[in-house]
Amino acid sequence: MRHFCNRSWGNCAMVLAIIIGFSSCKIEKLAPAQEAVKDISGNWRIIRATRNGADLTTIVDFSQFRINFKDGKYTLVNKVPFLVNDDGTYALDDPKYPFKISFKAGGATPVATAFNFPIVNGVRQLTITFSPGCANNSYVYVFQKTQ
Amino acid sequence: MKLYLHIKGKRLWQLCALVVLGIALACCGEIITGVDQPDTAAVGSTVTITVHIDIPTAGNGGPDNLIFGFLVPKGWKAAQNTTITYTSPTLGDGNMTLVPGTTLAKNGGGLNWPDDMKKTFGIGGNLIDDMEWVAYQSDKAFTHNGSEITGDLIIKIKVGADNNNTLAKLGYVITDSGNGFTSDANGTYYSEKVSSCFQLTGGTGDLVDFCNPQLTTINPPKSLDNDYITLTFDGTVVTPTPTGLAGASAVYLCATAYTSDGQTIVVCEQTDKTKMVQIPDGSKKYQITFWPKAFFGTTGTQTIIKMDYFITDQTGAVKVGYGNTASPFEYNFKCS
Repeated sequence: MRHFCNRSWGNCAMVLAIIIGFSSCKIEKLAPAQEAVKDISGNWRIIRATRNGADLTTIVDFSQFRINFKDGKYTLVNKVPFLVNDDGTYALDDPKYPFKISFKAGGATPVATAFNFPIVNGVRQLTITFSPGCANNSYVYVFQKTQ
Repeated sequence: MKLYLHIKGKRLWQLCALVVLGIALACCGEIITGVDQPDTAAVGSTVTITVHIDIPTAGNGGPDNLIFGFLVPKGWKAAQNTTITYTSPTLGDGNMTLVPGTTLAKNGGGLNWPDDMKKTFGIGGNLIDDMEWVAYQSDKAFTHNGSEITGDLIIKIKVGADNNNTLAKLGYVITDSGNGFTSDANGTYYSEKVSSCFQLTGGTGDLVDFCNPQLTTINPPKSLDNDYITLTFDGTVVTPTPTGLAGASAVYLCATAYTSDGQTIVVCEQTDKTKMVQIPDGSKKYQITFWPKAFFGTTGTQTIIKMDYFITDQTGAVKVGYGNTASPFEYNFKCS
């Protein structure tokens, strides 16, 4: 080093600066952000419904329908065509990143369908896509929690 | 003499410009020059249809595949029941294969080919939205190099997979994979033909008439009792004798459900439950949307397999049935 520094003070200074620079770095431990568990508990009403892309909300009265999720169970009030017609249990495919929701009415086989849980205008919504009748007829219900 | 020559030259330039413009406009783009299609066929038979095509090309574009769209009733399941080959003196012989649904149409705004065809051409003047465009592409590509490609597409389709007697207008459209349904200074790169009403007979299912206006329609055309159905009465449809509901301020549904356990359930009342709303006002088209299970009040184990219905006036005395007769309209709850 002495020999190196004797030959070129500039190089020596640069090497020392690099060594000091690296030694001054501090490893910051980043804690991964925890995704919240998606909790859909509560009483939900339909705010928008489509059948094969056409709006149903203006021609069908959905105002009385409610679906209540609580402790892994759901109940239907004033039923409309839905994935299931009877009360039962529900489950999300992933508690933090759910893409599907499955319903199990009584002793029936569970039925799963696409599920979205967006926040729109600051309000959490629940969007479920399903076919209660013919498979070619696709319905989308958008739910919002009742106050 | 000099003046005369000047005028002649000017006209010559105009003529030349027109000729060049004409050549430019006519130079490129796919053209369906004709379709050989029978007018009738029996349900379950195999029908041969020939589509004659002509593709003048220019420049040095491509290579592109020929894209062909076939508009048929969904119930025919054309994708499974159709083979298409082509013969061409320039392109040779080959097969048309189904375009995967994941393939996006060129200049189609992110739509795949069948969806782009439906967006661009609709359902070919058919009156019931239960038709589908099935998209095929040639197994060989061609270049746009100034040559002209002529040939025939030979379609063999087993018709009527749903076993329904049918009246429908079949549609045909061609383009190429490099242009899609566009036009530019060189020409129009697509061509569409829609047949007159093609009739399918000999089936044991319903009569599905895509061609003629119907007094009543049900949407979706195929549904079960756990779907919402929208029933529309069209008071503008001309029948040999006017319906007794001409000028009615309100009309009502009078229906009978037939269940899988042999029960019949009649809902024939003139109340808000059965009232058909005129949409829009003054249109003489009346609609009701309902969930059959709830409308007829079936039990959890009952399934409605069929529904008969009339349209009535507010008193219930005037009843309009199928074709403005005393027979009811019929609707079968099924998915195919």
